[in-house]
Amino acid sequence: MRHGKYPFLVAFLAPPVALYGVYVVSPYLQAFYISLTRWSGFSGNVEFIGLANYRRLLEDDQFHTALVNNLILLACLPVITIIMGLFFASMLNIGGRRGRAGIRGVAGSAVYRVIYFFPQVLSVAIIGVLWLYLLAPGRGLVDRSLDGFWLGWLTPNEGWLGNPGTAFWWVLAAMVWMNVGFYIVLFSAGMQSIPRDVYEAALLDGASRFTTFWRITVPLLWDSVQVAWIYLAIIALDAFALVQIMLGNAGGPSRSGDVIGLNLYRTAFEAFNFGYASAMGVTLFFLTLIIAVLAMRATRRDRVEFS
Amino acid sequence: MATVTYETASLTYPGTAKPAVDSLDLEIGDGEFLVLVGPSGCGKSTSLRMLAGLEDVDSGSIRIGDRDVTHLPPKARDIAMVFQNYALYPHMSVAQNMGFALKIAGTPKTEITKRVADAAKLLDLEDYLARKPKALSGGQRQRVAMGRAIVREPQVFLMDEPLSNLDAKLRVQTRSQIAALQKRLGTTTVYVTHDQVEAMTMGHRVAVLLDGLLQQCDTPRALYDRPANVFVAGFIGSPAMNIKTVPLSEEGGRFGKVFLPLTREQIAAAREGDGANGSVQVGFRPEDTDLVGEGTGGVPVLVDLVEELGSDAYVYGHADFDGSEERFVVRTDGRNAPEMGQTVYVKPKVGHHHVFHAVNGERID
Repeated sequence: MRHGKYPFLVAFLAPPVALYGVYVVSPYLQAFYISLTRWSGFSGNVEFIGLANYRRLLEDDQFHTALVNNLILLACLPVITIIMGLFFASMLNIGGRRGRAGIRGVAGSAVYRVIYFFPQVLSVAIIGVLWLYLLAPGRGLVDRSLDGFWLGWLTPNEGWLGNPGTAFWWVLAAMVWMNVGFYIVLFSAGMQSIPRDVYEAALLDGASRFTTFWRITVPLLWDSVQVAWIYLAIIALDAFALVQIMLGNAGGPSRSGDVIGLNLYRTAFEAFNFGYASAMGVTLFFLTLIIAVLAMRATRRDRVEFS
Repeated sequence: MATVTYETASLTYPGTAKPAVDSLDLEIGDGEFLVLVGPSGCGKSTSLRMLAGLEDVDSGSIRIGDRDVTHLPPKARDIAMVFQNYALYPHMSVAQNMGFALKIAGTPKTEITKRVADAAKLLDLEDYLARKPKALSGGQRQRVAMGRAIVREPQVFLMDEPLSNLDAKLRVQTRSQIAALQKRLGTTTVYVTHDQVEAMTMGHRVAVLLDGLLQQCDTPRALYDRPANVFVAGFIGSPAMNIKTVPLSEEGGRFGKVFLPLTREQIAAAREGDGANGSVQVGFRPEDTDLVGEGTGGVPVLVDLVEELGSDAYVYGHADFDGSEERFVVRTDGRNAPEMGQTVYVKPKVGHHHVFHAVNGERID
């Protein structure tokens, strides 16, 4: 194997590295440069303006709205999704008693498993449209359900997605809904690798379901939770597709549901201000990087090993 | 401290026709060390888990002391269990592992610390209290699992093959430690093992199970000297008893040209029932034999293998009876062991043989 090892390795490694360099790394570097210019995106007229675009970002109110919305997503989406994922996964795997002894999931857990995973096989576009129908003023499932419970007065006059106070929260709800299934599966897989007798020992030690969940399940799944946190943080900082479909290019009523990605899209492809849009992209890039590092740091603990 | 009573307790796993535990009747005295032993799949672990509340009881009942615990959840039974793989909480330190049950029960912190420290002292774990399980050796983990049970001061200890993950030497050492500990604490203990040596050395009484049925429950001595049936006779003792189905005549069981004398009552009992076809099962232990000279009433056995153990030697060989080959194991003095390929004459010691019915395998006295 020694002989001819390097040609072999290079033959396999060079094409992906080259592709990665041409199509991923170089656009990133270009974006860094473009962010320092004023450029309409089409003309050859590129004017270097230094950090002016970044200074403008600091004073741009619409960008601040978008940034705050992304930060709301960042604060809420991972927490809600992970808590729901952990809760459902533990109900599916260890929550059931069915009036019988031993450790098992709730009745019908196989069915629930499929249902929870269902949103995961739908594309974001379909999910967005689905939620538009759910939230359609007056005739959507949400309004009709509320009417059924004499809660119709809760619906704002402009409809859920037409009201600046509610529109963005429904996007958050849709994002939780579309993501939670995957994390149920992820946490279920993690739970299955926890030896059954650990749960039995907890049962004998007198732990209630709640205690078992907080003192056994969550600490033993911490690796999976950490991964989930980083993925969800990255998803929260993007959110372009769902916002665009549910709230439109403008980002909802009074642009209240804007996110950085959508703002960037409008700046580039509606206002044709590629330099400024690139500055937003570069900002988002560093924001994502910092948050990923922080999330990894904050959740770092001793690795749990099963003997 | 309490007694434990199984009353015709049965469990059939869903999807199987045969019960995993079939009408188990067993009474375990206060402070007794009872060992459940049997080959794998005999229902011994299931019986223990039924007592722990980790398996359901389909019919019959289980009582701890005067309380019927048949349908109580595990935490209401006041029991502690040591698992085969120890089932330590990997994310907790040794002290936290041992104190977990007390913490849940809301015991004051000082009390927990004191009881954990006492248990750690008893088990020689004082230096490891701050460590996580992964930083412990197998033997230490086993002791932590014991400590977790002791700290709770339960009415009954349940142990499910707690030594099977230890190496041979440590197992022997820990075996005696557990027995001594149990004697000292005086807590009723139910101990499951597949190892008949563990069963014989540790238990006050030993219950032998096969296919979910209790075969015999008695002291180790009685089990060894008076096995109730062929299975118990073959299972208890190492190497196993020589048990042969031989033709029955008026003089007794016939080994080739040699007769093993039986009483008139034994012969009558052996002939009862259908299917015996004039045969009987006779057994004798490897040590209940003499090697004699040719022509003095010994069964001629061709030596296949000699296992030298120092003090003793086990001679494995076979004899031809009317064309069928029968294997024998004989214990001899280690210094005068025969050699491979030699023919020795084996004579069972009269009065030390066991007689069983040819069909149902029950002991005949």
